[in-house]
Amino acid sequence: MSIDWITVAAQIANFLVLVWLLKRFLYRPILDGIDARETEIANRMQDAVLAQEKAAQAEADYRDQLSRQQSKEADLSEAVRKAAEDERDAILAEARAQLERERALWLTQLSDEAREYTRKLHRVGADALLSLTRKALGDLADDTLEARMAAQLIQKIDPMAAELKNAAAAASSAVIYSQAPLPPGVKGSLTSGLDAVFPGIAPDFKTDPEQAPGLVLRIGGAQLAWTLDSYIDGLEALVADKLGAGAVPGDPDHAQ
Amino acid sequence: MTLTPDQIIMFELWGMPLNATIFYTWIVMALLTIASLLITRKLRPDVPPNRWRTTLEVIVQGIQSQIEEISRRPSRRLLYFVGTLFLFVAMSNLLLVVPGFEPPTSSLSTTTALAISVLIAVPMFGVNSRGLGGYLKTYLEPSVIMLPFNIISEFSRGISLAIRLYGNIMSGAVIAVILLGVAPFFFPVVLDVLGLLTGMIQAYIFAILATVYISTATTPSPSTQTQKDS
Repeated sequence: MSIDWITVAAQIANFLVLVWLLKRFLYRPILDGIDARETEIANRMQDAVLAQEKAAQAEADYRDQLSRQQSKEADLSEAVRKAAEDERDAILAEARAQLERERALWLTQLSDEAREYTRKLHRVGADALLSLTRKALGDLADDTLEARMAAQLIQKIDPMAAELKNAAAAASSAVIYSQAPLPPGVKGSLTSGLDAVFPGIAPDFKTDPEQAPGLVLRIGGAQLAWTLDSYIDGLEALVADKLGAGAVPGDPDHAQ
Repeated sequence: MTLTPDQIIMFELWGMPLNATIFYTWIVMALLTIASLLITRKLRPDVPPNRWRTTLEVIVQGIQSQIEEISRRPSRRLLYFVGTLFLFVAMSNLLLVVPGFEPPTSSLSTTTALAISVLIAVPMFGVNSRGLGGYLKTYLEPSVIMLPFNIISEFSRGISLAIRLYGNIMSGAVIAVILLGVAPFFFPVVLDVLGLLTGMIQAYIFAILATVYISTATTPSPSTQTQKDS
Protein backbone atom coordinates (compact mmCIF):
# COMPACT_ATOMS: atom_id res chain seq x y z
CA MET A 1 0.00 0.00 0.00
CA SER A 2 1.77 3.11 -1.22
CA ILE A 3 0.74 6.47 -2.51
CA ASP A 4 2.11 7.73 -5.79
CA TRP A 5 1.83 11.46 -5.34
CA ILE A 6 2.24 12.15 -9.03
CA THR A 7 -0.73 9.91 -9.65
CA VAL A 8 -2.57 11.67 -6.84
CA ALA A 9 -1.94 15.03 -8.49
CA ALA A 10 -2.97 13.64 -11.85
CA GLN A 11 -6.11 12.14 -10.37
CA ILE A 12 -7.01 15.45 -8.71
CA ALA A 13 -6.58 17.12 -12.09
CA ASN A 14 -8.57 14.35 -13.75
CA PHE A 15 -11.30 14.72 -11.19
CA LEU A 16 -11.50 18.49 -11.68
CA VAL A 17 -11.61 18.00 -15.46
CA LEU A 18 -14.36 15.44 -15.00
CA VAL A 19 -16.30 17.88 -12.81
CA TRP A 20 -16.06 20.46 -15.57
CA LEU A 21 -16.97 17.96 -18.30
CA LEU A 22 -19.99 16.61 -16.47
CA LYS A 23 -21.08 20.11 -15.51
CA ARG A 24 -20.83 21.08 -19.19
CA PHE A 25 -22.36 17.99 -20.76
CA LEU A 26 -24.54 16.43 -18.06
CA TYR A 27 -25.72 18.57 -15.18
CA ARG A 28 -26.39 21.82 -16.98
CA PRO A 29 -28.30 20.35 -19.94
CA ILE A 30 -30.27 18.03 -17.69
CA LEU A 31 -31.07 20.63 -15.04
CA ASP A 32 -31.77 23.33 -17.62
CA GLY A 33 -34.03 20.90 -19.45
CA ILE A 34 -35.84 20.08 -16.23
CA ASP A 35 -36.15 23.77 -15.39
CA ALA A 36 -37.39 24.54 -18.91
CA ARG A 37 -39.91 21.73 -18.69
CA GLU A 38 -41.07 22.86 -15.27
CA THR A 39 -41.36 26.40 -16.58
CA GLU A 40 -43.31 25.12 -19.55
CA ILE A 41 -45.56 23.07 -17.25
CA ALA A 42 -46.04 26.13 -15.02
CA ASN A 43 -46.86 28.21 -18.10
CA ARG A 44 -49.29 25.57 -19.30
CA MET A 45 -50.84 25.42 -15.86
CA GLN A 46 -51.11 29.19 -15.92
CA ASP A 47 -52.63 28.98 -19.40
CA ALA A 48 -54.99 26.30 -18.16
CA VAL A 49 -56.00 28.49 -15.22
CA LEU A 50 -56.51 31.42 -17.60
CA ALA A 51 -58.45 29.20 -19.98
CA GLN A 52 -60.53 27.97 -17.07
CA GLU A 53 -61.20 31.52 -15.95
CA LYS A 54 -62.04 32.45 -19.52
CA ALA A 55 -64.35 29.47 -19.77
CA ALA A 56 -65.99 30.44 -16.49
CA GLN A 57 -66.39 33.99 -17.77
CA ALA A 58 -67.82 32.66 -21.03
CA GLU A 59 -70.19 30.45 -19.08
CA ALA A 60 -71.29 33.40 -16.95
CA ASP A 61 -71.77 35.49 -20.11
CA TYR A 62 -73.74 32.67 -21.69
CA ARG A 63 -75.94 32.30 -18.61
CA ASP A 64 -76.47 36.05 -18.51
CA GLN A 65 -77.30 36.06 -22.19
CA LEU A 66 -79.64 33.11 -21.70
CA SER A 67 -81.33 34.89 -18.82
CA ARG A 68 -81.75 38.01 -20.92
CA GLN A 69 -83.06 35.94 -23.80
CA GLN A 70 -85.54 34.20 -21.52
CA SER A 71 -86.64 37.55 -20.11
CA LYS A 72 -86.98 38.89 -23.65
CA GLU A 73 -88.99 35.82 -24.65
CA ALA A 74 -91.23 36.28 -21.63
CA ASP A 75 -91.77 39.93 -22.55
CA LEU A 76 -92.45 38.96 -26.15
CA SER A 77 -94.85 36.25 -25.03
CA GLU A 78 -96.64 38.74 -22.80
CA ALA A 79 -96.84 41.23 -25.66
CA VAL A 80 -98.16 38.54 -27.99
CA ARG A 81 -100.70 37.46 -25.39
CA LYS A 82 -101.82 41.05 -24.87
CA ALA A 83 -102.02 41.61 -28.63
CA ALA A 84 -104.06 38.42 -28.94
CA GLU A 85 -106.37 39.58 -26.17
CA ASP A 86 -106.75 42.97 -27.85
CA GLU A 87 -107.42 41.25 -31.16
CA ARG A 88 -109.95 38.96 -29.49
CA ASP A 89 -111.63 41.95 -27.83
CA ALA A 90 -111.68 43.79 -31.16
CA ILE A 91 -113.15 40.75 -32.95
CA LEU A 92 -115.73 40.33 -30.19
CA ALA A 93 -116.61 44.02 -30.32
CA GLU A 94 -116.88 43.83 -34.10
CA ALA A 95 -119.05 40.71 -33.79
CA ARG A 96 -121.26 42.43 -31.22
CA ALA A 97 -121.53 45.49 -33.45
CA GLN A 98 -122.33 43.25 -36.41
CA LEU A 99 -124.93 41.48 -34.29
CA GLU A 100 -126.41 44.78 -33.24
CA ARG A 101 -126.50 45.92 -36.86
CA GLU A 102 -128.11 42.69 -37.96
CA ARG A 103 -130.52 42.88 -35.07
CA ALA A 104 -131.41 46.46 -35.99
CA LEU A 105 -131.80 45.39 -39.63
CA TRP A 106 -133.88 42.46 -38.56
CA LEU A 107 -136.01 44.71 -36.38
CA THR A 108 -136.38 47.11 -39.29
CA GLN A 109 -137.36 44.27 -41.57
CA LEU A 110 -139.74 43.01 -38.89
CA SER A 111 -141.23 46.45 -38.56
CA ASP A 112 -141.56 46.72 -42.34
CA GLU A 113 -143.12 43.29 -42.48
CA ALA A 114 -145.48 44.33 -39.69
CA ARG A 115 -146.42 47.46 -41.55
CA GLU A 116 -146.87 45.47 -44.76
CA TYR A 117 -148.94 42.99 -42.86
CA THR A 118 -151.01 45.79 -41.41
CA ARG A 119 -151.44 47.33 -44.81
CA LYS A 120 -152.44 44.02 -46.32
CA LEU A 121 -154.74 43.37 -43.40
CA HIS A 122 -156.19 46.82 -43.87
CA ARG A 123 -156.81 46.22 -47.53
CA VAL A 124 -158.08 42.69 -47.11
CA GLY A 125 -160.25 43.81 -44.22
CA ALA A 126 -161.55 46.68 -46.26
CA ASP A 127 -162.28 44.40 -49.20
CA ALA A 128 -163.95 41.88 -46.94
CA LEU A 129 -165.92 44.52 -45.10
CA LEU A 130 -166.93 46.13 -48.36
CA SER A 131 -167.97 42.86 -49.90
CA LEU A 132 -169.86 41.73 -46.82
CA THR A 133 -171.56 45.10 -46.44
CA ARG A 134 -172.49 45.17 -50.09
CA LYS A 135 -173.88 41.65 -49.91
CA ALA A 136 -175.71 42.33 -46.67
CA LEU A 137 -177.24 45.50 -48.03
CA GLY A 138 -178.27 43.73 -51.20
CA ASP A 139 -179.74 40.77 -49.35
CA LEU A 140 -181.42 42.62 -46.52
CA ALA A 141 -182.42 46.05 -47.92
CA ASP A 142 -182.32 45.56 -51.65
CA ASP A 143 -179.94 48.51 -51.85
CA THR A 144 -176.34 49.14 -53.04
CA LEU A 145 -173.36 50.17 -50.96
CA GLU A 146 -172.60 53.12 -53.20
CA ALA A 147 -176.20 54.40 -52.76
CA ARG A 148 -175.86 54.09 -49.00
CA MET A 149 -172.51 55.83 -49.07
CA ALA A 150 -173.97 58.66 -51.14
CA ALA A 151 -176.87 58.92 -48.70
CA GLN A 152 -174.44 59.00 -45.75
CA LEU A 153 -172.33 61.73 -47.41
CA ILE A 154 -175.41 63.86 -48.18
CA GLN A 155 -176.63 63.26 -44.65
CA LYS A 156 -173.28 64.53 -43.29
CA ILE A 157 -173.37 67.62 -45.51
CA ASP A 158 -176.57 69.07 -43.92
CA PRO A 159 -175.27 69.61 -40.35
CA MET A 160 -172.01 71.01 -41.67
CA ALA A 161 -173.43 73.13 -44.48
CA ALA A 162 -172.49 76.47 -42.91
CA GLU A 163 -168.93 75.47 -42.23
CA LEU A 164 -168.57 74.00 -45.72
CA LYS A 165 -169.81 77.19 -47.29
CA ASN A 166 -167.34 79.25 -45.35
CA ALA A 167 -164.51 76.94 -46.29
CA ALA A 168 -165.55 76.67 -49.92
CA ALA A 169 -165.88 80.50 -50.24
CA ALA A 170 -166.42 81.29 -53.85
CA ALA A 171 -165.57 77.94 -55.28
CA SER A 172 -167.39 77.18 -58.51
CA SER A 173 -166.70 73.45 -58.76
CA ALA A 174 -166.66 70.42 -56.58
CA VAL A 175 -164.97 67.03 -57.00
CA ILE A 176 -166.18 63.75 -55.57
CA TYR A 177 -163.50 61.00 -55.34
CA SER A 178 -164.31 57.34 -55.17
CA GLN A 179 -162.25 54.18 -55.36
CA ALA A 180 -164.28 52.82 -58.22
CA PRO A 181 -166.54 54.48 -60.77
CA LEU A 182 -169.96 55.27 -59.29
CA PRO A 183 -173.22 54.05 -60.84
CA PRO A 184 -175.22 56.77 -62.65
CA GLY A 185 -178.03 56.61 -60.06
CA VAL A 186 -175.61 57.31 -57.27
CA LYS A 187 -174.07 60.17 -59.25
CA GLY A 188 -177.54 61.67 -59.74
CA SER A 189 -178.49 61.46 -56.09
CA LEU A 190 -175.15 63.03 -55.12
CA THR A 191 -175.57 65.82 -57.68
CA SER A 192 -179.07 66.57 -56.44
CA GLY A 193 -178.03 66.36 -52.80
CA LEU A 194 -175.14 68.74 -53.37
CA ASP A 195 -177.23 71.13 -55.40
CA ALA A 196 -179.52 71.57 -52.44
CA VAL A 197 -176.67 73.03 -50.38
CA PHE A 198 -174.53 74.58 -53.11
CA PRO A 199 -176.82 75.53 -55.86
CA GLY A 200 -175.32 75.88 -59.32
CA ILE A 201 -172.25 73.76 -58.59
CA ALA A 202 -172.20 70.54 -60.53
CA PRO A 203 -169.81 67.92 -58.99
CA ASP A 204 -167.15 66.31 -61.02
CA PHE A 205 -166.70 62.53 -60.31
CA LYS A 206 -163.18 61.10 -60.22
CA THR A 207 -161.74 57.76 -59.20
CA ASP A 208 -158.63 57.17 -57.04
CA PRO A 209 -157.52 53.50 -56.60
CA GLU A 210 -155.37 54.44 -53.67
CA GLN A 211 -158.21 56.00 -51.78
CA ALA A 212 -160.00 54.11 -49.05
CA PRO A 213 -163.41 52.69 -49.94
CA GLY A 214 -165.94 55.52 -49.59
CA LEU A 215 -166.57 59.01 -50.95
CA VAL A 216 -164.61 62.22 -50.53
CA LEU A 217 -166.04 65.62 -51.39
CA ARG A 218 -163.69 68.49 -52.12
CA ILE A 219 -165.05 71.89 -52.74
CA GLY A 220 -162.71 74.87 -52.63
CA GLY A 221 -160.63 74.49 -49.51
CA ALA A 222 -163.24 72.31 -47.79
CA GLN A 223 -163.32 68.52 -47.72
CA LEU A 224 -165.92 66.13 -46.39
CA ALA A 225 -165.52 62.35 -46.48
CA TRP A 226 -167.19 59.13 -45.55
CA THR A 227 -164.94 56.10 -45.83
CA LEU A 228 -164.58 52.66 -44.35
CA ASP A 229 -161.29 53.61 -42.62
CA SER A 230 -162.81 53.89 -39.14
CA TYR A 231 -164.55 50.55 -39.58
CA ILE A 232 -161.37 48.89 -40.86
CA ASP A 233 -159.42 50.37 -37.93
CA GLY A 234 -161.97 48.90 -35.60
CA LEU A 235 -161.66 45.54 -37.36
CA GLU A 236 -157.88 45.65 -37.05
CA ALA A 237 -158.13 46.47 -33.36
CA LEU A 238 -160.53 43.59 -32.91
CA VAL A 239 -158.25 41.15 -34.78
CA ALA A 240 -155.17 42.36 -32.91
CA ASP A 241 -157.06 42.01 -29.65
CA LYS A 242 -158.06 38.46 -30.50
CA LEU A 243 -154.56 37.52 -31.72
CA GLY A 244 -153.00 39.00 -28.58
CA ALA A 245 -155.39 37.05 -26.36
CA GLY A 246 -154.50 33.79 -28.17
CA ALA A 247 -150.73 34.28 -27.98
CA VAL A 248 -148.68 32.01 -25.69
CA PRO A 249 -146.77 34.02 -23.02
CA GLY A 250 -142.99 33.77 -23.52
CA ASP A 251 -143.26 32.58 -27.13
CA PRO A 252 -140.85 34.78 -29.06
CA ASP A 253 -142.79 34.47 -32.27
CA HIS A 254 -145.92 35.75 -30.60
CA ALA A 255 -144.08 38.29 -28.50
CA GLN A 256 -142.69 39.85 -31.63
CA MET B 1 0.53 -9.97 -7.52
CA THR B 2 0.21 -6.22 -7.61
CA LEU B 3 -2.11 -4.67 -5.05
CA THR B 4 -2.40 -1.33 -6.77
CA PRO B 5 -2.80 -0.41 -10.44
CA ASP B 6 -0.32 2.43 -9.90
CA GLN B 7 2.42 -0.06 -10.47
CA ILE B 8 1.06 -1.24 -13.82
CA ILE B 9 2.52 0.80 -16.63
CA MET B 10 0.24 0.73 -19.61
CA PHE B 11 2.34 2.78 -22.08
CA GLU B 12 4.48 5.89 -22.31
CA LEU B 13 3.05 9.23 -23.36
CA TRP B 14 5.56 11.83 -24.48
CA GLY B 15 8.25 9.92 -22.68
CA MET B 16 6.28 9.68 -19.45
CA PRO B 17 5.04 6.31 -18.18
CA LEU B 18 1.28 6.13 -17.91
CA ASN B 19 0.04 3.81 -15.19
CA ALA B 20 -3.22 1.83 -15.20
CA THR B 21 -4.84 4.10 -12.60
CA ILE B 22 -4.68 7.14 -14.83
CA PHE B 23 -5.44 5.16 -17.99
CA TYR B 24 -8.57 3.57 -16.58
CA THR B 25 -9.55 6.87 -15.00
CA TRP B 26 -9.50 8.37 -18.47
CA ILE B 27 -11.62 5.53 -19.74
CA VAL B 28 -14.18 6.14 -17.00
CA MET B 29 -14.10 9.88 -17.74
CA ALA B 30 -14.51 9.22 -21.45
CA LEU B 31 -17.43 6.86 -20.88
CA LEU B 32 -19.22 9.30 -18.60
CA THR B 33 -18.58 12.27 -20.88
CA ILE B 34 -19.49 10.53 -24.12
CA ALA B 35 -22.63 9.01 -22.62
CA SER B 36 -23.70 12.42 -21.29
CA LEU B 37 -22.87 14.08 -24.59
CA LEU B 38 -24.81 11.54 -26.63
CA ILE B 39 -27.86 11.65 -24.40
CA THR B 40 -28.04 15.41 -23.95
CA ARG B 41 -26.92 16.61 -27.40
CA LYS B 42 -30.44 16.78 -28.82
CA LEU B 43 -32.03 17.97 -25.65
CA ARG B 44 -34.79 20.47 -26.40
CA PRO B 45 -37.72 21.52 -24.19
CA ASP B 46 -40.27 20.76 -26.91
CA VAL B 47 -38.98 17.20 -27.46
CA PRO B 48 -40.34 14.63 -25.01
CA PRO B 49 -37.52 12.90 -23.08
CA ASN B 50 -36.48 9.41 -24.18
CA ARG B 51 -35.67 6.67 -21.69
CA TRP B 52 -31.90 7.43 -21.62
CA ARG B 53 -32.56 11.05 -20.89
CA THR B 54 -35.15 10.05 -18.32
CA THR B 55 -32.61 7.71 -16.70
CA LEU B 56 -30.07 10.52 -16.49
CA GLU B 57 -32.72 12.86 -15.11
CA VAL B 58 -33.65 10.30 -12.47
CA ILE B 59 -29.98 9.89 -11.48
CA VAL B 60 -29.30 13.63 -11.37
CA GLN B 61 -32.51 14.41 -9.54
CA GLY B 62 -31.86 11.54 -7.11
CA ILE B 63 -28.43 12.95 -6.29
CA GLN B 64 -29.91 16.43 -6.00
CA SER B 65 -32.67 15.30 -3.66
CA GLN B 66 -30.16 13.44 -1.47
CA ILE B 67 -28.01 16.56 -1.25
CA GLU B 68 -31.03 18.69 -0.40
CA GLU B 69 -32.12 16.26 2.29
CA ILE B 70 -28.71 16.48 3.93
CA SER B 71 -27.78 20.11 3.40
CA ARG B 72 -31.37 21.48 3.56
CA ARG B 73 -30.58 23.87 0.76
CA PRO B 74 -30.40 23.44 -3.02
CA SER B 75 -26.95 24.09 -4.46
CA ARG B 76 -25.86 23.41 -8.02
CA ARG B 77 -22.17 23.72 -7.19
CA LEU B 78 -22.47 21.05 -4.53
CA LEU B 79 -24.34 18.90 -7.06
CA TYR B 80 -21.55 19.28 -9.60
CA PHE B 81 -18.94 18.24 -7.06
CA VAL B 82 -20.71 15.49 -5.13
CA GLY B 83 -22.53 14.18 -8.21
CA THR B 84 -19.25 13.83 -10.07
CA LEU B 85 -17.72 12.07 -7.06
CA PHE B 86 -20.60 9.60 -6.96
CA LEU B 87 -20.71 8.97 -10.70
CA PHE B 88 -16.96 8.54 -10.97
CA VAL B 89 -16.72 6.13 -8.04
CA ALA B 90 -19.88 4.25 -9.07
CA MET B 91 -18.78 3.89 -12.70
CA SER B 92 -15.30 2.77 -11.65
CA ASN B 93 -16.75 0.17 -9.31
CA LEU B 94 -19.32 -0.99 -11.87
CA LEU B 95 -16.59 -1.59 -14.45
CA LEU B 96 -15.03 -4.03 -11.99
CA VAL B 97 -17.05 -6.73 -13.76
CA VAL B 98 -15.30 -6.04 -17.06
CA PRO B 99 -12.46 -8.58 -17.42
CA GLY B 100 -9.06 -6.92 -17.31
CA PHE B 101 -10.41 -3.61 -16.05
CA GLU B 102 -8.58 -2.26 -13.04
CA PRO B 103 -10.89 0.09 -11.15
CA PRO B 104 -9.11 3.35 -10.38
CA THR B 105 -10.77 3.38 -6.99
CA SER B 106 -8.74 0.32 -6.03
CA SER B 107 -5.71 2.64 -6.08
CA LEU B 108 -4.91 4.45 -2.85
CA SER B 109 -3.64 7.32 -4.97
CA THR B 110 -7.06 7.78 -6.52
CA THR B 111 -8.95 7.58 -3.25
CA THR B 112 -6.39 9.90 -1.69
CA ALA B 113 -6.86 12.31 -4.57
CA LEU B 114 -10.60 12.19 -4.08
CA ALA B 115 -10.22 12.67 -0.33
CA ILE B 116 -7.90 15.60 -0.87
CA SER B 117 -10.44 17.02 -3.28
CA VAL B 118 -13.07 16.78 -0.54
CA LEU B 119 -10.65 18.26 1.99
CA ILE B 120 -10.04 21.22 -0.31
CA ALA B 121 -13.72 21.52 -1.24
CA VAL B 122 -14.91 21.69 2.37
CA PRO B 123 -13.13 24.98 3.22
CA MET B 124 -13.89 26.39 -0.24
CA PHE B 125 -17.62 25.80 0.15
CA GLY B 126 -17.42 26.97 3.77
CA VAL B 127 -15.63 30.20 2.88
CA ASN B 128 -18.00 30.73 -0.03
CA SER B 129 -21.00 30.26 2.23
CA ARG B 130 -19.94 31.93 5.49
CA GLY B 131 -16.99 34.09 4.51
CA LEU B 132 -13.35 33.53 5.50
CA GLY B 133 -13.78 34.80 9.05
CA GLY B 134 -16.97 32.88 9.62
CA TYR B 135 -15.39 29.67 8.38
CA LEU B 136 -12.18 29.98 10.40
CA LYS B 137 -14.24 30.75 13.48
CA THR B 138 -15.74 27.24 13.24
CA TYR B 139 -12.32 25.85 14.22
CA LEU B 140 -12.59 27.76 17.49
CA GLU B 141 -15.95 26.32 18.41
CA PRO B 142 -17.09 25.58 20.94
CA SER B 143 -13.88 27.06 22.45
CA VAL B 144 -10.33 27.95 21.47
CA ILE B 145 -9.06 24.82 23.20
CA MET B 146 -10.77 22.75 20.52
CA LEU B 147 -8.71 24.29 17.66
CA PRO B 148 -6.11 21.46 17.39
CA PHE B 149 -8.79 18.84 17.74
CA ASN B 150 -10.87 20.44 15.03
CA ILE B 151 -7.85 20.51 12.70
CA ILE B 152 -7.06 16.85 13.44
CA SER B 153 -10.73 16.01 12.92
CA GLU B 154 -10.66 17.73 9.57
CA PHE B 155 -7.68 15.74 8.32
CA SER B 156 -8.87 12.48 9.83
CA ARG B 157 -12.05 12.82 7.82
CA GLY B 158 -10.07 12.90 4.61
CA ILE B 159 -7.88 10.00 5.66
CA SER B 160 -10.88 7.91 6.68
CA LEU B 161 -12.60 8.69 3.39
CA ALA B 162 -9.59 7.63 1.38
CA ILE B 163 -8.80 4.50 3.37
CA ARG B 164 -12.43 3.35 3.53
CA LEU B 165 -12.96 3.50 -0.21
CA TYR B 166 -9.58 2.13 -1.09
CA GLY B 167 -9.84 -0.73 1.42
CA ASN B 168 -13.25 -1.82 0.26
CA ILE B 169 -12.52 -1.77 -3.44
CA MET B 170 -9.02 -3.05 -3.23
CA SER B 171 -9.97 -5.88 -0.87
CA GLY B 172 -12.81 -6.93 -3.15
CA ALA B 173 -10.44 -7.04 -6.12
CA VAL B 174 -7.76 -8.90 -4.18
CA ILE B 175 -10.18 -11.46 -2.82
CA ALA B 176 -11.60 -11.98 -6.31
CA VAL B 177 -8.11 -12.58 -7.66
CA ILE B 178 -7.28 -15.01 -4.84
CA LEU B 179 -10.53 -16.93 -5.26
CA LEU B 180 -10.03 -17.00 -9.00
CA GLY B 181 -6.95 -19.04 -8.34
CA VAL B 182 -8.58 -21.33 -5.81
CA ALA B 183 -12.02 -21.89 -7.29
CA PRO B 184 -12.14 -20.37 -10.75
CA PHE B 185 -15.72 -21.34 -11.74
CA PHE B 186 -18.22 -20.26 -9.14
CA PHE B 187 -16.90 -18.00 -6.39
CA PRO B 188 -15.47 -15.25 -8.62
CA VAL B 189 -18.95 -14.68 -10.08
CA VAL B 190 -20.56 -14.43 -6.68
CA LEU B 191 -17.82 -12.14 -5.48
CA ASP B 192 -18.14 -9.95 -8.55
CA VAL B 193 -21.85 -9.56 -7.84
CA LEU B 194 -21.09 -8.74 -4.25
CA GLY B 195 -18.36 -6.41 -5.46
CA LEU B 196 -20.91 -4.53 -7.57
CA LEU B 197 -23.14 -4.12 -4.54
CA THR B 198 -20.24 -3.09 -2.34
CA GLY B 199 -18.97 -0.70 -4.99
CA MET B 200 -22.33 1.05 -5.30
CA ILE B 201 -22.69 1.26 -1.53
CA GLN B 202 -19.17 2.68 -1.24
CA ALA B 203 -19.89 5.24 -3.93
CA TYR B 204 -23.04 6.24 -2.09
CA ILE B 205 -21.25 6.40 1.27
CA PHE B 206 -18.35 8.40 -0.17
CA ALA B 207 -20.70 10.92 -1.77
CA ILE B 208 -22.92 11.15 1.31
CA LEU B 209 -19.98 11.68 3.64
CA ALA B 210 -18.56 14.33 1.35
CA THR B 211 -21.95 16.05 1.34
CA VAL B 212 -22.16 15.86 5.11
CA TYR B 213 -18.71 17.35 5.53
CA ILE B 214 -19.36 20.17 3.10
CA SER B 215 -22.81 20.81 4.56
CA THR B 216 -21.33 20.99 8.06
CA ALA B 217 -18.93 23.62 6.81
CA THR B 218 -21.61 25.61 5.00
CA THR B 219 -24.44 25.34 7.55
CA PRO B 220 -24.39 28.13 10.14
CA SER B 221 -23.75 26.90 13.70
CA PRO B 222 -26.70 27.11 16.16
CA SER B 223 -25.12 30.03 18.00
CA THR B 224 -24.55 31.95 14.76
CA GLN B 225 -28.08 31.15 13.66
CA THR B 226 -29.48 32.41 16.96
CA GLN B 227 -27.52 35.64 16.64
CA LYS B 228 -28.79 36.13 13.08
CA ASP B 229 -32.34 35.43 14.14
CA SER B 230 -32.15 37.88 17.01
